[in-house]
Amino acid sequence: MKKNLFRIILTVVFIAAAILYLYPTYQDQQISKELHGLTGQDSLDYVTKNADKIRKSRDGRIKLGLDLKGGVYVVLDVDVVKLLQDISKKKDDPTLNQILNDLRNVPETSDEPILNLLKARLKEKGLTLKSFYGEIRDDENDVEKKLSTEIDNAIDRAVEIVRNRVDQYGVAEPQIQKIGGKRIVVELPGVSNPDEVRKLLQGTALLQFQMLKDPETAVKVMQNINSVLVGKGVTDSTKTTAELKKDSLKKNTESLTSKDTSLKESSGKKDLKKDTTKTKKDSDKKSTDTTKKKDSDKKKDTLSNIDTGSTSDTSAANLSEEEFKQKFPFFYLVRLNEQSGTADGYVRESDKEKVDLILKREDVKAVIPTDVMFAWSQRSFETGGEKIYTLYCLKKDAELTGKVIEDAKSNIDPQNNTPIVTMSMSTEGSADWARITGANINKRCAIVLDGVVYSAPVIRSKITGGNSQIEGMGSIQEAKLLEIVLKAGALPAPLKIAEERSVGPSLGEDSINKGLTSSFVALVLVALFMIVYYRVGGGVADLALIINVLFVMGIMASFKATLTLPGIAGLVLTLGMAVDTNVLIFERIREEMGSGKPLRTAVDIGYKKAFSAIIDSHVTSIITGIILYQFGSGPIQGFALTLLFGIGANLFTAIVITHFIFDIMLEKGRHISIG
Amino acid sequence: MRLFKQTNIDFLGKRKIFYLVSIIFIVVGMTVLFIKGIPLGIDFLGGTEIQVKFDNPIEVGELRNSMDKAGFVGMEIKSMGSAADYLLRTPLQGEGQTVADKIQAGIKDNMPGKNYQVLQVNKVGPKIGAELRKNAIYAVVFSLLGILIYLALRFQFVYALGAVIGLFHDVLITISAVAIFDAVFPMLQLEFNQQMLAAFLTLIGFSVNDTVIIFDRIRENIKLFKNEDIEDVMNKSVNATLSRTIITSGTVFLTVLVLFLFGGEVLRAFAFTFAVGVITGTYSSVFVSSSIVVDWRHHVLGDKHKGKIAVNTTKS
Repeated sequence: MKKNLFRIILTVVFIAAAILYLYPTYQDQQISKELHGLTGQDSLDYVTKNADKIRKSRDGRIKLGLDLKGGVYVVLDVDVVKLLQDISKKKDDPTLNQILNDLRNVPETSDEPILNLLKARLKEKGLTLKSFYGEIRDDENDVEKKLSTEIDNAIDRAVEIVRNRVDQYGVAEPQIQKIGGKRIVVELPGVSNPDEVRKLLQGTALLQFQMLKDPETAVKVMQNINSVLVGKGVTDSTKTTAELKKDSLKKNTESLTSKDTSLKESSGKKDLKKDTTKTKKDSDKKSTDTTKKKDSDKKKDTLSNIDTGSTSDTSAANLSEEEFKQKFPFFYLVRLNEQSGTADGYVRESDKEKVDLILKREDVKAVIPTDVMFAWSQRSFETGGEKIYTLYCLKKDAELTGKVIEDAKSNIDPQNNTPIVTMSMSTEGSADWARITGANINKRCAIVLDGVVYSAPVIRSKITGGNSQIEGMGSIQEAKLLEIVLKAGALPAPLKIAEERSVGPSLGEDSINKGLTSSFVALVLVALFMIVYYRVGGGVADLALIINVLFVMGIMASFKATLTLPGIAGLVLTLGMAVDTNVLIFERIREEMGSGKPLRTAVDIGYKKAFSAIIDSHVTSIITGIILYQFGSGPIQGFALTLLFGIGANLFTAIVITHFIFDIMLEKGRHISIG
Repeated sequence: MRLFKQTNIDFLGKRKIFYLVSIIFIVVGMTVLFIKGIPLGIDFLGGTEIQVKFDNPIEVGELRNSMDKAGFVGMEIKSMGSAADYLLRTPLQGEGQTVADKIQAGIKDNMPGKNYQVLQVNKVGPKIGAELRKNAIYAVVFSLLGILIYLALRFQFVYALGAVIGLFHDVLITISAVAIFDAVFPMLQLEFNQQMLAAFLTLIGFSVNDTVIIFDRIRENIKLFKNEDIEDVMNKSVNATLSRTIITSGTVFLTVLVLFLFGGEVLRAFAFTFAVGVITGTYSSVFVSSSIVVDWRHHVLGDKHKGKIAVNTTKS
């Protein structure tokens, strides 16, 4: 009995866990059912009211593969030939272009790296890689090594660029994965226009340096937007910003401060390319602390100036949440933080879309000056369990594009052990950079990739040598990301589509219906057979079968695995195999009974003797399952996964669950008929 | 209910007949395969395919004409179950304005007024195609190897070898069956794609399952009947497990049949392959794998004496 108690507890725990994991899937279905019956405003209200529930159920539900849901699946490859063309120092050289064009036509099935082929072709003509990709003093091998890292790194840049764009495109549950170190797999469920996706993924990335608008102008623009939303005229802006901000702070944004990054002349030597000339100016390096303080002091001053200019509306500070929402709808969504001395707007993830919609409104656009634009931060930070994004107010015209960047490197500052990113610019760019930084000391400059702000450091000093250092990053990962982004502006990451599959939503629906129908029919048929053939024993096996399905689905949900059409096939197959285990045991029990043993003994011996066969057959199935997972791709991996989960669940249900059910029945003195 | 009483069939005594049956089937299948070539799907071939569904049934000829006009002369056009469903396929795949777009433009321009929906588009680059091909072969080889090693550890090398030869036999028979059926019933749309690969690996797993259960019984019976000839012990074991073999294969066959009938176009090739696999897998477990162990003992090791054939019992 003790042994059984443990088995029972284990079973109950597993079943409870499976149900717990499957609940979001059920909830999600209920929600979409309810939503289906609602239209227009009603459905919008429903979504707003249940936003939290919807999000949670969506996160936890079993995900459907593209073959079931419809969508686009794209495999991207770095276009090495194009990359080599783009980064060459002599882009117009006819010989090089001739060779590269030839290489483009080399059968793509060749496994020889393009770089090796290029080197060989150049050699035939008595040329070297160095003459196209290096400096005179460089060693040929170094140039080759450098190019090869450049090609390897291209994929990281491409991943970041693609991720950035897909995020902006606004697809639910996109998946972007780097596989095998040289390819990107992008899955966009629910997208039905592959053409659009192609454009989205293959365009060239644009990196820009854009100055932030000074806080007072930015706040004024936001006030005007707010006025439009309240329905008043632009000139009628009578809110005191200080109080307004105080109020918004009080509400929930006390902790809303993103880390301040800063930009200054780099003094690093090792980090940057050997051949760049550097001006070491340690004297230029001001203490970060003092400048920061000065900086915010100054801004506070200017802000209070605005306050005095406005008519009093002292009640603002005492407004209730609801009143605040009524009077300051824009600032209700976009919270400012007075203490930071900036005009960075902090927006909850759930409000981001609303803000985007507001900014797109024609009447709102009319009050935004033509030289001003808003842009989101790429990063978010978390407060009170919700992600907060930053809305920046930028000057529309870029000061400089990323093309001038020659190199960027993330590092740890040995002096204070904090992560930094160093960046070097071309001679031409350096001159512009010196002018820009010189004119904007203590102002902030945003690093913007494809319209998204990755960092907005404060310029500490005039940077003359072209070598800049960005500090204040929260972690080395953050620094690494910035390095990738800066390089994305400097170096292209041309991509070509190696594989593209799109499934229309109607085919997906059809597949899911057929898949589910066949699974159900198969389950019913097998269950019926078992009861007819093995009677009570068959009934117990059927119970195990149902628990088996529950387990597999539960494991799928807990692993956040994706259910594909072959996955459903795998599930059906598992059912067939689950039955096998029971058949094996029952046949053995019958055999033992046939040789005259009493039921009790026959059951025990049957389980014991069937055990080695069950283990061996399951292990071999696991071997093929793992290999299938390893060598299959996409939907096939889904098949392998359900098969593997199914085998695991099957072992448990057949050996543990049915066994203790038999044990209990026998203990109670029942006779079990197994046919 | 009981379908099988205690049987006592001399399976192994007739093994020469079954060897012959297998060989004939494989030879015929391979001949068909050789003449017709392996029907490879887009996954392994590379190219572009697009599946469209017209609102109303259309003439294939019309579709073919419009494709000819659009520059796709001799394009592969398959009807997918009805006169409104078509799969258009070409080995071409372009950059920029891709082939799928050109095909669609071709339909729009040359068949005005015929509305259709795009059900799916697949484009596989030649490199990916080659890679998937390579991976498919690796997958089959590695799973056979993995099984060989595991069984060699659990039983004896001879048994592992017998099982793996049986599996190889199953793979060959199934490929042959696919080739023959594709030649006779082209409407089944059998072709080698990723799903077919999954079917092959599952049939390997399933067939070895069967074999292992028989071997497991042999391992047990050899201890019980120490003084009997291996052939008799094996016959006893096959007979003892026969009921289980048939019932399991029957239920699995039933589920696969359901998939074949109701699973839709996408799963049809998979279900067909696996259905063939279930039959040949069951057959090979009884007639090939066990027979090979006996013959190996008799001829290669010259081991005809009673009681000398022990399997590795220490690990059971």
